[in-house]
Amino acid sequence: MRSYRGQVAIVGVGETPVGKVPGRSALWFNAEATRLALADAGIDKSQVDGLVTAPSFVAPFARMSVAVSEYLGIQPTFSNTLNVSGATAAASVSVAAAAIHAGLADTVVVCCGDNMLSGLTRDLAVKALVESRDPQYEAPFGLLVATTFALTAQRHMAEYGTTPEQLARVAVITREHALRKPGAQMTAPITVADVLASKLVTTPYHMLDCALVSDGGAALVLTTAERARDYRRAPVYLLGGGESYTQEHIFCAESITTTGAAVSSRRAYAMAGVDPGAIDVAGIYDCFTGTVIMMLEDLGFCKKGEGGPFVETGAITYGGRIPINTHGGMLSYAHPGLPGGFFHIVEMVRQLRGEAAERQVAGAELALCHSLGGGFATNATIVLGTEATL
Amino acid sequence: MTARPLPPIDDDTRAYWAGLARGELLLQHCRDCGHVQVYQRALCGRCLGARVEHRPASGRGRVYSFSTVHRAPSAEFKEDVPYTVVLVELVEGPRMISTLVDAPPETVRIGQAVEIVYDRVSPEITLPRFRRAGASMTS
Repeated sequence: MRSYRGQVAIVGVGETPVGKVPGRSALWFNAEATRLALADAGIDKSQVDGLVTAPSFVAPFARMSVAVSEYLGIQPTFSNTLNVSGATAAASVSVAAAAIHAGLADTVVVCCGDNMLSGLTRDLAVKALVESRDPQYEAPFGLLVATTFALTAQRHMAEYGTTPEQLARVAVITREHALRKPGAQMTAPITVADVLASKLVTTPYHMLDCALVSDGGAALVLTTAERARDYRRAPVYLLGGGESYTQEHIFCAESITTTGAAVSSRRAYAMAGVDPGAIDVAGIYDCFTGTVIMMLEDLGFCKKGEGGPFVETGAITYGGRIPINTHGGMLSYAHPGLPGGFFHIVEMVRQLRGEAAERQVAGAELALCHSLGGGFATNATIVLGTEATL
Repeated sequence: MTARPLPPIDDDTRAYWAGLARGELLLQHCRDCGHVQVYQRALCGRCLGARVEHRPASGRGRVYSFSTVHRAPSAEFKEDVPYTVVLVELVEGPRMISTLVDAPPETVRIGQAVEIVYDRVSPEITLPRFRRAGASMTS
């Protein structure tokens, strides 16, 4: 099987301030995150010959990756503005790794930034999302993007007995994690009762079951494994990647409780040569609490239908089977739109480098990142590992 | 009141919206492989055959899933909240998105039988909505 396993490494990561960061453009969030990632890697921008980013909701650039490289004063020979909605994060890293492995580029910046909170009003942000629905078969019925995901959670509750309290536990645990992450947008502890008492958005989801709206950007520097050994940071290797695109419309999904994540993760595990049981820590796209529960199942961390009890027994935090979203995720750290899933990857790199400070999962050698979007229309998984896992 | 978004009709969907306007829900059936599909396409989504034809549907189905929207997605929907978006599984097989009418949110359950209601919102556009069709059946 053809594979980029162990051939490409992440050698630098950068994050801008997140939350409400007024006055900054989407381009700035991309460029600042990239500047920080290059500094982290200890390399000059002249070494960058590829750039992958995602479109901004706010900025009008149709060729965002080209606009970002111009802003940074670089002229890459590989450029890709990639959008598979929420799955863009892991998919971007995978396509950059593939490009490096195939010889299209040597050193690729994968970045993403947007000012969803300051640049768009909350109402406009939601409207931008609703307009991404099918104008004939969905939009006339007033679906929020959250509604698509809510339909999956409602069905999961009916099929498997998942409870609102179990959904809420995801938000509570994620908030506990955010308290240990400097700069997180949300800094006050919450309880299950708080989640259930927060305003209903689209049943079964309350406000605190939903991801934030934020400003922010993140960037990663990828290069060949050969070059990575000379860099200042311990390389974090790409061991596997997989994607799955099962439908556009939620009404065309064969199942709404088993998703393409089962396929994307199976492919990623196969390339990496590992089983879910070997993963030490994970970054799971947490646009909604129920999403996490379904993903824990589809990614193979627990059996189908057992995601609720799995969460309830503390399996997704320190000391549990698989600590996830140790930075606080999109529920509590930041969710600036497409950049939301990139922070999970930055955090997993920090975990594998052993530099996650009080968030560190002891002895973490293998990490998984899963990104998804569009009511599970899109799914992308990557497996990362330390040198010891090669 | 602000106008709600109306579907922009195209060549793939013209017959579908014309059917709704006269009180018929049309589904595309493939004459080659028998596949029944939602939404309207110029080809069969299973075998890519071009011999797809519209046939009237029963307009009956069950609630496959639902979500009651409390926070309007835009100003146009503000006076409608709370309303229940429903994923209906039609007896013919395919599923479609709609909203329930005359259904208090707390009474909605997965598996309930529903039937179509034709909601004429403009001379060209009649939206397919659903209402409860008697007692709940097991799914």
